[in-house]
Amino acid sequence: MTQVRVEIVGGPLSPETPSSAGPIEARGEIGSRVRFEGVVRRLEGEGTIEALDYEVYSPMAERVLESIARDEGRRSGVLGILVRHSRGRVAVGEVSFVCEIASAHRAEGLEALGSFIDRMKREAPIWKRPVPASSD
Amino acid sequence: MRIEVLVFGPVAEVVGADRIGVECHVSANDSGPSVATVLEAIGRDHPELATALSGARLAVNHAFAPPEALVGPGDEVALIALVGGG
Repeated sequence: MTQVRVEIVGGPLSPETPSSAGPIEARGEIGSRVRFEGVVRRLEGEGTIEALDYEVYSPMAERVLESIARDEGRRSGVLGILVRHSRGRVAVGEVSFVCEIASAHRAEGLEALGSFIDRMKREAPIWKRPVPASSD
Repeated sequence: MRIEVLVFGPVAEVVGADRIGVECHVSANDSGPSVATVLEAIGRDHPELATALSGARLAVNHAFAPPEALVGPGDEVALIALVGGG
Protein backbone atom coordinates (compact mmCIF):
# COMPACT_ATOMS: atom_id res chain seq x y z
CA MET A 1 0.00 0.00 0.00
CA THR A 2 1.31 3.40 -0.99
CA GLN A 3 2.26 5.75 1.82
CA VAL A 4 0.58 9.12 1.26
CA ARG A 5 1.11 12.44 2.97
CA VAL A 6 -0.62 15.70 2.00
CA GLU A 7 0.00 19.11 3.52
CA ILE A 8 -1.30 22.60 2.78
CA VAL A 9 1.19 25.21 3.96
CA GLY A 10 0.78 28.96 4.37
CA GLY A 11 3.09 30.87 2.02
CA PRO A 12 6.00 29.53 -0.01
CA LEU A 13 7.42 26.06 0.58
CA SER A 14 10.90 25.68 1.94
CA PRO A 15 13.44 23.72 -0.09
CA GLU A 16 14.02 21.51 2.96
CA THR A 17 10.79 19.58 2.47
CA PRO A 18 11.23 16.20 4.19
CA SER A 19 11.24 13.07 2.10
CA SER A 20 8.03 11.04 1.81
CA ALA A 21 9.93 7.80 1.84
CA GLY A 22 11.65 7.48 5.19
CA PRO A 23 9.85 4.41 6.58
CA ILE A 24 9.91 2.67 3.22
CA GLU A 25 13.55 3.49 2.62
CA ALA A 26 14.43 1.60 5.81
CA ARG A 27 13.21 -1.56 4.11
CA GLY A 28 15.46 -0.94 1.15
CA GLU A 29 12.65 -1.07 -1.41
CA ILE A 30 13.25 2.30 -3.05
CA GLY A 31 15.12 2.43 -6.32
CA SER A 32 13.89 5.83 -7.48
CA ARG A 33 12.80 9.07 -5.91
CA VAL A 34 11.29 11.68 -8.23
CA ARG A 35 10.77 15.20 -6.91
CA PHE A 36 8.88 17.94 -8.70
CA GLU A 37 8.81 21.58 -7.59
CA GLY A 38 6.34 24.05 -9.02
CA VAL A 39 7.91 27.51 -9.07
CA VAL A 40 6.06 30.79 -9.61
CA ARG A 41 7.33 32.31 -12.85
CA ARG A 42 7.33 35.98 -13.77
CA LEU A 43 5.45 35.59 -17.05
CA GLU A 44 1.78 34.64 -16.59
CA GLY A 45 -0.22 34.65 -19.79
CA GLU A 46 0.81 37.80 -21.61
CA GLY A 47 1.62 39.82 -18.49
CA THR A 48 4.28 40.10 -15.84
CA ILE A 49 3.48 39.24 -12.25
CA GLU A 50 5.21 39.52 -8.90
CA ALA A 51 3.35 36.70 -7.13
CA LEU A 52 0.45 34.27 -7.18
CA ASP A 53 -2.24 34.21 -4.50
CA TYR A 54 -3.43 30.65 -3.88
CA GLU A 55 -6.97 30.09 -2.56
CA VAL A 56 -7.54 26.63 -1.07
CA TYR A 57 -10.92 25.20 -0.06
CA SER A 58 -10.06 23.21 3.05
CA PRO A 59 -10.51 20.50 4.14
CA MET A 60 -11.82 19.38 0.75
CA ALA A 61 -8.57 20.19 -1.04
CA GLU A 62 -6.58 17.96 1.29
CA ARG A 63 -9.12 15.15 0.88
CA VAL A 64 -9.10 15.40 -2.92
CA LEU A 65 -5.30 15.46 -3.09
CA GLU A 66 -5.10 12.45 -0.80
CA SER A 67 -7.71 10.59 -2.84
CA ILE A 68 -5.86 11.27 -6.10
CA ALA A 69 -2.57 10.16 -4.52
CA ARG A 70 -4.14 6.90 -3.27
CA ASP A 71 -5.69 6.25 -6.70
CA GLU A 72 -2.36 6.84 -8.41
CA GLY A 73 -0.60 4.68 -5.85
CA ARG A 74 -2.96 1.75 -6.46
CA ARG A 75 -2.77 2.18 -10.20
CA SER A 76 1.00 2.59 -10.52
CA GLY A 77 2.26 0.62 -7.54
CA VAL A 78 4.60 3.37 -6.34
CA LEU A 79 5.71 3.15 -2.71
CA GLY A 80 5.18 6.67 -1.40
CA ILE A 81 3.68 10.01 -2.48
CA LEU A 82 4.30 13.29 -0.67
CA VAL A 83 2.31 16.36 -1.69
CA ARG A 84 2.72 19.87 -0.34
CA HIS A 85 0.86 22.89 -1.70
CA SER A 86 0.92 26.54 -0.73
CA ARG A 87 -1.96 28.66 0.46
CA GLY A 88 -1.78 32.44 0.20
CA ARG A 89 0.86 34.54 -1.52
CA VAL A 90 3.92 33.02 -3.18
CA ALA A 91 6.37 35.37 -4.89
CA VAL A 92 8.05 34.89 -8.24
CA GLY A 93 10.91 32.42 -7.91
CA GLU A 94 9.45 30.73 -4.82
CA VAL A 95 8.11 27.19 -4.65
CA SER A 96 4.33 26.71 -4.36
CA PHE A 97 3.99 22.98 -4.96
CA VAL A 98 6.08 19.90 -4.25
CA CYS A 99 5.33 16.32 -5.24
CA GLU A 100 7.80 13.60 -4.37
CA ILE A 101 7.27 10.00 -5.40
CA ALA A 102 9.27 7.01 -4.20
CA SER A 103 9.13 3.82 -6.23
CA ALA A 104 11.05 0.66 -6.98
CA HIS A 105 11.84 1.80 -10.53
CA ARG A 106 11.96 5.21 -12.18
CA ALA A 107 9.40 4.48 -14.92
CA GLU A 108 6.39 4.15 -12.63
CA GLY A 109 7.52 7.10 -10.51
CA LEU A 110 7.85 9.44 -13.48
CA GLU A 111 4.54 8.30 -14.95
CA ALA A 112 2.69 8.61 -11.64
CA LEU A 113 4.07 12.11 -11.13
CA GLY A 114 2.71 13.37 -14.44
CA SER A 115 -0.63 11.67 -13.92
CA PHE A 116 -0.99 13.03 -10.37
CA ILE A 117 -0.30 16.62 -11.47
CA ASP A 118 -2.74 16.39 -14.40
CA ARG A 119 -5.52 15.21 -12.08
CA MET A 120 -4.68 17.77 -9.41
CA LYS A 121 -5.07 20.59 -11.90
CA ARG A 122 -8.48 19.26 -12.97
CA GLU A 123 -9.95 18.18 -9.64
CA ALA A 124 -8.40 19.83 -6.57
CA PRO A 125 -10.30 22.89 -5.28
CA ILE A 126 -7.33 25.24 -5.49
CA TRP A 127 -7.28 28.52 -7.38
CA LYS A 128 -4.47 30.91 -8.17
CA ARG A 129 -4.81 34.65 -8.79
CA PRO A 130 -1.96 36.53 -10.44
CA VAL A 131 -0.65 39.62 -8.63
CA PRO A 132 0.42 42.05 -11.37
CA ALA A 133 3.96 43.36 -11.10
CA SER A 134 2.72 46.93 -10.83
CA SER A 135 0.36 46.35 -7.87
CA ASP A 136 1.20 47.30 -4.28
CA MET B 1 -35.79 26.16 -0.60
CA ARG B 2 -32.99 28.74 -0.53
CA ILE B 3 -29.50 27.26 -0.83
CA GLU B 4 -26.29 29.15 -0.03
CA VAL B 5 -23.43 28.14 -2.31
CA LEU B 6 -19.78 28.96 -1.58
CA VAL B 7 -17.84 30.23 -4.59
CA PHE B 8 -14.12 30.69 -5.15
CA GLY B 9 -11.50 32.01 -7.53
CA PRO B 10 -12.70 33.47 -10.83
CA VAL B 11 -16.34 32.75 -9.99
CA ALA B 12 -16.08 34.76 -6.76
CA GLU B 13 -14.51 37.61 -8.72
CA VAL B 14 -17.34 37.60 -11.27
CA VAL B 15 -20.14 37.68 -8.67
CA GLY B 16 -18.22 39.95 -6.27
CA ALA B 17 -18.87 37.73 -3.25
CA ASP B 18 -17.72 34.51 -1.62
CA ARG B 19 -21.20 32.94 -1.75
CA ILE B 20 -24.42 33.14 -3.71
CA GLY B 21 -27.97 32.28 -2.71
CA VAL B 22 -30.34 30.50 -5.08
CA GLU B 23 -33.98 29.51 -4.71
CA CYS B 24 -34.42 25.83 -5.64
CA HIS B 25 -37.46 23.68 -6.33
CA VAL B 26 -37.88 20.71 -4.01
CA SER B 27 -39.78 17.68 -5.27
CA ALA B 28 -42.52 16.21 -3.11
CA ASN B 29 -41.21 13.72 -0.54
CA ASP B 30 -37.63 15.00 -0.91
CA SER B 31 -35.81 16.68 1.96
CA GLY B 32 -34.14 19.18 -0.34
CA PRO B 33 -33.24 19.97 -3.94
CA SER B 34 -30.96 17.74 -5.98
CA VAL B 35 -27.45 18.79 -6.91
CA ALA B 36 -28.61 19.05 -10.53
CA THR B 37 -31.42 21.37 -9.48
CA VAL B 38 -29.02 23.62 -7.57
CA LEU B 39 -26.69 23.85 -10.59
CA GLU B 40 -29.65 24.70 -12.83
CA ALA B 41 -30.72 27.41 -10.39
CA ILE B 42 -27.24 28.92 -10.38
CA GLY B 43 -27.27 29.02 -14.18
CA ARG B 44 -30.74 30.57 -14.19
CA ASP B 45 -29.97 33.28 -11.63
CA HIS B 46 -26.39 33.97 -12.74
CA PRO B 47 -26.14 33.87 -16.53
CA GLU B 48 -22.78 35.63 -16.22
CA LEU B 49 -21.43 32.31 -14.92
CA ALA B 50 -22.40 30.31 -18.02
CA THR B 51 -18.79 29.74 -19.07
CA ALA B 52 -17.65 28.83 -15.56
CA LEU B 53 -20.54 26.40 -15.09
CA SER B 54 -19.44 24.34 -18.06
CA GLY B 55 -17.75 21.40 -16.38
CA ALA B 56 -18.38 22.74 -12.87
CA ARG B 57 -19.30 20.40 -10.03
CA LEU B 58 -20.96 20.86 -6.68
CA ALA B 59 -19.38 19.70 -3.47
CA VAL B 60 -21.62 18.89 -0.52
CA ASN B 61 -19.92 18.76 2.86
CA HIS B 62 -16.46 18.80 1.25
CA ALA B 63 -17.02 15.95 -1.21
CA PHE B 64 -18.05 16.00 -4.87
CA ALA B 65 -21.72 15.05 -5.11
CA PRO B 66 -23.49 13.30 -8.03
CA PRO B 67 -26.35 15.13 -9.81
CA GLU B 68 -29.02 13.06 -8.10
CA ALA B 69 -27.77 13.63 -4.55
CA LEU B 70 -30.01 15.72 -2.33
CA VAL B 71 -28.92 18.87 -0.53
CA GLY B 72 -30.31 19.06 2.96
CA PRO B 73 -30.65 21.81 5.54
CA GLY B 74 -27.30 22.60 7.12
CA ASP B 75 -25.24 21.06 4.32
CA GLU B 76 -22.20 23.04 3.18
CA VAL B 77 -22.49 23.48 -0.57
CA ALA B 78 -19.63 24.72 -2.76
CA LEU B 79 -19.31 25.36 -6.47
CA ILE B 80 -16.04 23.89 -7.72
CA ALA B 81 -15.22 25.43 -11.08
CA LEU B 82 -12.17 26.60 -13.02
CA VAL B 83 -9.66 25.07 -10.61
CA GLY B 84 -5.94 25.21 -11.31
CA GLY B 85 -3.46 24.58 -8.55
CA GLY B 86 0.22 23.83 -8.87
